[in-house]
Amino acid sequence: MSGPSRNPRRNLSRALSRIANADVTDTLAQQSVLPTENLPRIGITGAPGAGKSSLIARLAKLRKNADRKVAVLAVDPSSPVSQGSILGDRIRMDAIADDPDIFIRSIPSRRAHDGLADNTADLLNAMEGHGFGEIILETVGVGQAEYTIRTLVDTVVLILVPHSGDAIQAMKAGILEMADIYVVNKADLPGADLMAAEIEQVADHQSADGWTPPVIMTTRDDPAGFAALDDAINAHAAWRADHRDVTAARRARARYQTQGLISRRIDEILEAAGEDFLDQDPGALFDAIVSRLGR
Amino acid sequence: MSLNGKRILIAKPGLDGHDVGAKIIALALRDAGADVIYTGLRRSPDYIARVAVDEDVDAVGLSILSGSHKELVEETVRCLAELDAGDIHLFVGGTIPGEDHDELRNAGARGIFTAEMTIDDVVAAIEADLGT
Ligand SMILES: Nc1nc2c(ncn2[C@@H]2O[C@H](COP(=O)(O)OP(=O)(O)OP(=O)(O)O)[C@@H](O)[C@H]2O)c(=O)[nH]1
Ligand SMILES: [Mg+2]
Repeated sequence: MSGPSRNPRRNLSRALSRIANADVTDTLAQQSVLPTENLPRIGITGAPGAGKSSLIARLAKLRKNADRKVAVLAVDPSSPVSQGSILGDRIRMDAIADDPDIFIRSIPSRRAHDGLADNTADLLNAMEGHGFGEIILETVGVGQAEYTIRTLVDTVVLILVPHSGDAIQAMKAGILEMADIYVVNKADLPGADLMAAEIEQVADHQSADGWTPPVIMTTRDDPAGFAALDDAINAHAAWRADHRDVTAARRARARYQTQGLISRRIDEILEAAGEDFLDQDPGALFDAIVSRLGR
Repeated sequence: MSLNGKRILIAKPGLDGHDVGAKIIALALRDAGADVIYTGLRRSPDYIARVAVDEDVDAVGLSILSGSHKELVEETVRCLAELDAGDIHLFVGGTIPGEDHDELRNAGARGIFTAEMTIDDVVAAIEADLGT
């Protein structure tokens, strides 16, 4: 199909594909200036199967209204073997897939290993200016990924499940020091109270900057938990408005996005150059890559 | 040939409750390099068309075992056209008697896959159609 569609939803959808499929040069051409809009971004992360997609379905329903359309970007891992993927988040978001005020886009992680897609920053920017009021980003938490998502979103929600050893692992990895809101999901499972209490203790030590991360228990069939999460996100947004260092946040995003573009550019160079390009000493290889880096 | 970078929606319209075949195809397409989205059971053609638009897929594969393939293919084609997405390729797979194939092709199905075909044949046909 060429030219704009009479269906605005299709235009948006295709605009995202253009960014998703763009090589580095095209990406830079399409995003030569930073977006003027700055939509609030909520990042939902946690271990595989923690219930992120199911929770987003409920959360999005609560947060959307006529004046605030919600866009969901859901990242699922690509197979390192075939580069293909099964994008399975949407199936858990059934309940909202028909809602005209909610837009869901599934994206493969491609080469990235940090739970995000290598072009997430570009895609998030591309969501601006399409009439949305807020963006929710789902990413699988794989160790350090939680730090990356922090750079790209305004509010980080970490989903944990009872009795998964999650709390201890999360503490080890230092993850329990980076979320703005903790959710103990599947609170119908035994051990939820204990886990919430443990995390609360950690969270209490995390208030150096004045925001003490709340710990919220959610269960599939209990609206009260999701309402509490909705409130907590609003409270964090209000707090952020007064306390966040906007310049530092913007710089961190610029740094992440640019590093991602350069890393992708290096992949492009290596792919174009062929295998035997790699048969050089590290210094010579480095110089050869650097000499080709320009646009 | 590879399906790298191609986005394919595997959908199950209609009332039958078996999606093993749909899941097997989804995995085979993933292994051929495609990004595959699956809708789950018993989706309406309207729902499927909307998901196809929002996800900007290159193709939709309908898995139909219920016998109502004619109605469901026609309805899906109509819904896609209504959303200005008639250029999205449509395939249909399942228990589909040979005598219905022409009619389905005329209705807009670009490929018809039955149990007699191997998975590899199905993937190859989709690769040939989406062509890279
Ligand atoms: N017991 C219980 N199970 C739940 C709850 N919420 C979700 N689940 C189940 O948890 C499983 C995973 O749910 P998803 O929403 O797909 O989890 P996810 O974190 O998005 O999974 P990935 O994207 O694959 O990492 C599903 O089988 C859900 O039915 C809950 O409140 N209680
Ligand atoms: Mg998910």
